[in-house]
Amino acid sequence: MRPFAAGASAYQRLPRIYWALVGLALVGIFAAPQFRTLSNLANILEQSGTLAVLALGQAFVIAGGMIDLSVGQLVGLITVVACMMFEAYPGMGFLVVVACLGLAALVGLVNGELINRLRMSPLILTFGMLSVLQGFIFMLTDRSIGEAAPFIAFLSNGRVGGIPVSLVLVALVAIGTYYALQRSIFGWHLLAMGNSAESARKAGLNLFSLTRIVFLVSGLCAGVAGLLVAGRLGTGFPNAGNGLELDAIVAVVLGGTPLKGGRVSVLGILGAVLFLGVLNNLLNLLQVPAFTQIVVKGVIVIIAILADRPGKLAQPA
Amino acid sequence: MSMALDTPRASLRLPSLDKAAVWIVLVVLLLLAGLASDAFFKINYLTNLVRQAAPVGITAVGVTFVMLLRGVDLSVGAIVSMSAVVCALVMDGKAENLWLGIAAASACGAAIGLANGLLIAHGKVSAFILTLGMSIVVYGLVQMGTGGTARGIVSPGFREVLNSRVGGVLPVLVIFLLVAMAIGIFLQSRTRFGRSVYLIGANPDAARLAGLPVNRVTVIAYVVSGFFAGLGGLALLARTGVSGTNPGAGMEFDVLAAVVLGGTTFAGGRGSVGATFAGVMVLFIALNLANVAGLPYAAQLTIKGLIIIAASAAHSWIGWRVSARTQQ
Repeated sequence: MRPFAAGASAYQRLPRIYWALVGLALVGIFAAPQFRTLSNLANILEQSGTLAVLALGQAFVIAGGMIDLSVGQLVGLITVVACMMFEAYPGMGFLVVVACLGLAALVGLVNGELINRLRMSPLILTFGMLSVLQGFIFMLTDRSIGEAAPFIAFLSNGRVGGIPVSLVLVALVAIGTYYALQRSIFGWHLLAMGNSAESARKAGLNLFSLTRIVFLVSGLCAGVAGLLVAGRLGTGFPNAGNGLELDAIVAVVLGGTPLKGGRVSVLGILGAVLFLGVLNNLLNLLQVPAFTQIVVKGVIVIIAILADRPGKLAQPA
Repeated sequence: MSMALDTPRASLRLPSLDKAAVWIVLVVLLLLAGLASDAFFKINYLTNLVRQAAPVGITAVGVTFVMLLRGVDLSVGAIVSMSAVVCALVMDGKAENLWLGIAAASACGAAIGLANGLLIAHGKVSAFILTLGMSIVVYGLVQMGTGGTARGIVSPGFREVLNSRVGGVLPVLVIFLLVAMAIGIFLQSRTRFGRSVYLIGANPDAARLAGLPVNRVTVIAYVVSGFFAGLGGLALLARTGVSGTNPGAGMEFDVLAAVVLGGTTFAGGRGSVGATFAGVMVLFIALNLANVAGLPYAAQLTIKGLIIIAASAAHSWIGWRVSARTQQ
């Protein structure tokens, strides 16, 4: 299939975010002695797991020129529901996991279906869904509730030979995403839709079906991320997902995927997630005051996006 | 994303319905609200509703211009916070600092808007992410400035005047909102800037080729957005009386929802300040309906979301029929 080769060659060079990552890592190596330790590196990888899965799910939606703002609260909902169910039905952990992933996929499917049927802007629909899901969470509980099953905690926090278990999960999701978006007919169609929905429709692509699939995947990834958060926290914290949707979008864009869609780089997204993880870790190691950390993170997002911008972008937006 | 798959019926001749859509939604929602509680037909309640909407409404005026340009401004929530905090700090409870505080707050808003505009126009970066980053920076600066606790006291008279009612009926904050709207409508329809915004939003490439100063108009639009967010912060400060540490948290989403409900979509070039006002009112009637129904906070959040989806769907359905028709 020639088209795929063409799509790949544009991304054979390393995404630019890796240079920023290398620069940041050099700063860390010289400025903070603890940064170099293997356990700290494993820490960074472990802490980045949730964001990586969430950003990879968001990549599907953004590649098609859409956006999913509901994933943050969906992570919160799954965290709460999972912990409640783990506590209520001990010994049925596997079924609980299946049920949670099913619930997350269902929310994603509802998003996609509503966007198709109501012909709504994905941004406003998923923004509404954000509020709906937040309501669901607070109807269930207004404080931390339930307890995560040991095997979920192991998935999030466990290490085998010093390597975080969650890394394996992230790797699986990343490989799956890479093949789906950058090596399959589905991905080719999705990027065509992101480039120009109108042309893709005229070329005979089923935009409804593509929309349904990407929101389903985004929901499913939020479900996986929710289970990881449940394992990390050990309990169902209702605000666990607040703002995660924006972190995920920032990671996708820093990774070189434009918000208007049509291009995607899984490698870039992983680099961006690592970059954000290393940044967080360094700021903590250097004992930067909390409020200053916020400013630094914002400035880094701005600098990174200015440095990573594509050469030509013929619109004021 | 255009999804006009079906062929529209040829008999549909509603070219103006596109612009009227949000007003229809507003009237229908108001009638429904009136059925639920006759309070919605009382003048005091209605003026109170508008008063409550003033901070979001004033901020939405500026964001409308940015959205018309195919941009977006997610930093307005943080600017509202900054404006309220800066105003209270500068006023320091002294009457002579009243105007100084107001000027400082507006200037802060415009300055952040200028930074947004310059970076977006000359950096050619995604406005979504840039203003998101800016909102994080501004939020952090506000937290550093306050040290994480509510500081600053408003000047005597500031709250009292802005919360009073002219003739015992019309709240001053409502007049504030209406004046902001009027300035916005003037900018939009009576100035070269306003016309340029529509042209650039409709087709940036064509506007550039036609020799319009795209970069300058973009910068001005973001300055306008920041300035109105600064005014929105003043309105919020007047309502609450204390600056808090992050009073504008999450307001960018309310503003965005209101602007999009009003029909100013992310595609740019279409929409208006007047329609944004209708969008703001739709949002706040929806929130009030949930309140009036005596629902717990959690259920209100869910219903708020559902109403945003339903109202927006109704609007885009009408808009879709019309645009499908006009594109034939």
